[in-house]
Amino acid sequence: MNWLTTRRHFALMVAPALIIYSLYMICPILYSLYYSFTNFDGVSAGGFAGLDNYRQMAQDDAFWTSMRNTGIILGIALFLLIPLGFLLAILLSGRVKGSGALRALVFAPAIIAPILVGLIWIFILDPKIGLVNAFLLAIGVPAHPQWIGGPTLSSYSIGFVYLWQQIGFVLTIFYAGLRMLPRDVMEASSLDGASRWQQLRHIQIPMLRETFGIVTALVVTGVFKVFELVYALTGGGPVHLSEVMVSYMYHITFTTQQYGYGMALAVVVFVVGALASAATFLDNRRKGEVR
Amino acid sequence: MATSPQSAPPTSRRPSGISRRLLLTATASALFVTATACGSAVNTADGSSSDGLITLSMHNPDSKTQDPATWQMVQEFNKQHPDMKIKLEGQPVDQHEQRMTIAAQSGTLPEIFWVYDSLAKTMVKSGDLLDLTPILAEDNLKAKFVPSMLAGFRSGNVQYGVPYQALVTGFYYNKAILDEHKIAVPETFDDLLAAVKKLKAAGVVPITQGANNSSFSVWAFLTMLDRFGYEAKYQDILSGRASYDSADFLRLYKHVEELAEAGAFPSNMNTQTYAQAVASYTSGKAAFLDAGVWEAAKIQKSGVGKDTGFWAGPTFSDGVGNQKLVMNVPSAPFVVSAKVKDDKKKYAAVKAFIQFYYSDAGQKILVDNAQPPVTTYKPSVDATKNPVFAAVLAEASKPGWTSPKAQPDLVVSAATASAMYDSFYGVMGGSLSPEEAVKNVQKTIKQVPAVTP
Repeated sequence: MNWLTTRRHFALMVAPALIIYSLYMICPILYSLYYSFTNFDGVSAGGFAGLDNYRQMAQDDAFWTSMRNTGIILGIALFLLIPLGFLLAILLSGRVKGSGALRALVFAPAIIAPILVGLIWIFILDPKIGLVNAFLLAIGVPAHPQWIGGPTLSSYSIGFVYLWQQIGFVLTIFYAGLRMLPRDVMEASSLDGASRWQQLRHIQIPMLRETFGIVTALVVTGVFKVFELVYALTGGGPVHLSEVMVSYMYHITFTTQQYGYGMALAVVVFVVGALASAATFLDNRRKGEVR
Repeated sequence: MATSPQSAPPTSRRPSGISRRLLLTATASALFVTATACGSAVNTADGSSSDGLITLSMHNPDSKTQDPATWQMVQEFNKQHPDMKIKLEGQPVDQHEQRMTIAAQSGTLPEIFWVYDSLAKTMVKSGDLLDLTPILAEDNLKAKFVPSMLAGFRSGNVQYGVPYQALVTGFYYNKAILDEHKIAVPETFDDLLAAVKKLKAAGVVPITQGANNSSFSVWAFLTMLDRFGYEAKYQDILSGRASYDSADFLRLYKHVEELAEAGAFPSNMNTQTYAQAVASYTSGKAAFLDAGVWEAAKIQKSGVGKDTGFWAGPTFSDGVGNQKLVMNVPSAPFVVSAKVKDDKKKYAAVKAFIQFYYSDAGQKILVDNAQPPVTTYKPSVDATKNPVFAAVLAEASKPGWTSPKAQPDLVVSAATASAMYDSFYGVMGGSLSPEEAVKNVQKTIKQVPAVTP
């Protein structure tokens, strides 16, 4: 028997990772849960507050706005980012001249730090100095929409920038999935007279179901971690109208020093994110079993 | 494909005893390195360093360029006290506040540090800060201060803080732009509104502001709050005997709305930062800048330095109480970790630094770096060489004008201060009506009581 496969040695080898994981992941979650029931201000010991922080959350308009904005970005990610990423992967997986360079180009935003992506897009979306409004002005459009910094469009713009940043990453996963598909199946279907659309619908998409599942899980968890883009593009403003759940939690905890309330927000972010991820994984498993 | 121990491909040979030992040693080493790294991170955070006997932690990542007065003060102190070397460190305001909070939780506060008064009040409540009364009593150092400069940082008999710098705030204005459009320097709100309309029509940004990650940059509007009776009312508001949602404050917010509707603020106010707003002014693109004395040196060096004046802000015919107010108050305090008293050498170094900082020599360093003194030291400023700083000092000491005791946001909790900033920026940007703005602040006051140590 392999030395590593004995239960004692296996436990010994797993223990360090388990200890570190518990210390840095599980304990903070439990701590957050505990503090969410207190009015801890970050320094002095907070008293037990029961469900007050959760009641405050229910009456907090900015929290619901941050939920809505996170939902908008999630919607953009699920209904635009994944289909577009897949479409681009299909296009670039064909024998297109320069497809390697194009893939690298599309992937480039994924390796830029999100805070820098935010700074770059300020110069594109800013209502006064941005390229988009300058272009609109140049072609004679008098309107100057507030793509960011206004009360309505900011969260959609953040969702679009997130799409721009992530599409190369999504494309790469789909591209790898497409390359793994057995060629003989595609060749046989071609010989049988299947059209490109039929191949896509009846062969490629069903065979990539697991890849779709992985991408969906990554995108869903990624949306609940969006922070830097909001921080750089709008700072959550104006008046918290473009906050997402994480940025609002940060504001409450560190700017307003309401650690107890901030931890309650963190717990809700964790629960919502975990539920969304669990739903995605369960859906993937169900589809896998059906298949 | 799922694998199990049974189905795993057999290895060609079992790992030797040496390999096992190697593996375990490597794991143990990795754990040790991790633990050591964590340990050293804690040591760094507590401010102790082999580079200095004590640490002064500030709210600027690069004090040499962003806060040259403090940097020079430390250099001069270190030169004069080679046995008491101070290490100067810092990070941006938000990170600094966050770090000091965590350090307070873990009992690893640096010896001296800058901190917002709301956080200082929380720390003094927890016993994290040193009472500076004995230090101020020595050599009658206390007598060097105007009482109001220390009063804000006292809790009962405990003097937990000393003023870092004086906060003189208001509007810088570009005389050349005003002259070009035949606008006199405003005095009243009506003058300001008329000037805004004229400037807007001429395509000039009337008042530059930046809200992105700097919603606190509403200093001139906080002074306006005092011109509507804030100072007399705030304790009643905080204790629930009065409301922020009052007819008086609502009138002020309606005036702010009038300014917004007249186009006073740039269309990208919500996406530009405060630093970009300053850059917009120093590049001559805006007529007014809402800021304070800390920008005097930068403006002086810029292209608009020779054309810049300083104004305490508008008076209101429908205001409440004294309108001749100029904000000249202590800014956030320096505080000292309570643990310093346990170490005689550190205590001596802290005492020596505080005595040096508030000595005439120390205050001269502030003045030389375009910062007003916080003691009774009378500065001599060459108005021909430093006209912007001289203009600020002149406005701050205008005959017949007085200062509130504290800036409105510095006497409330951090959450309420944040709500106040949002209320002004919300109305300026059209996201909030004046009624919503005052209601939001009142709602926060009710939810988050002020810290009263």
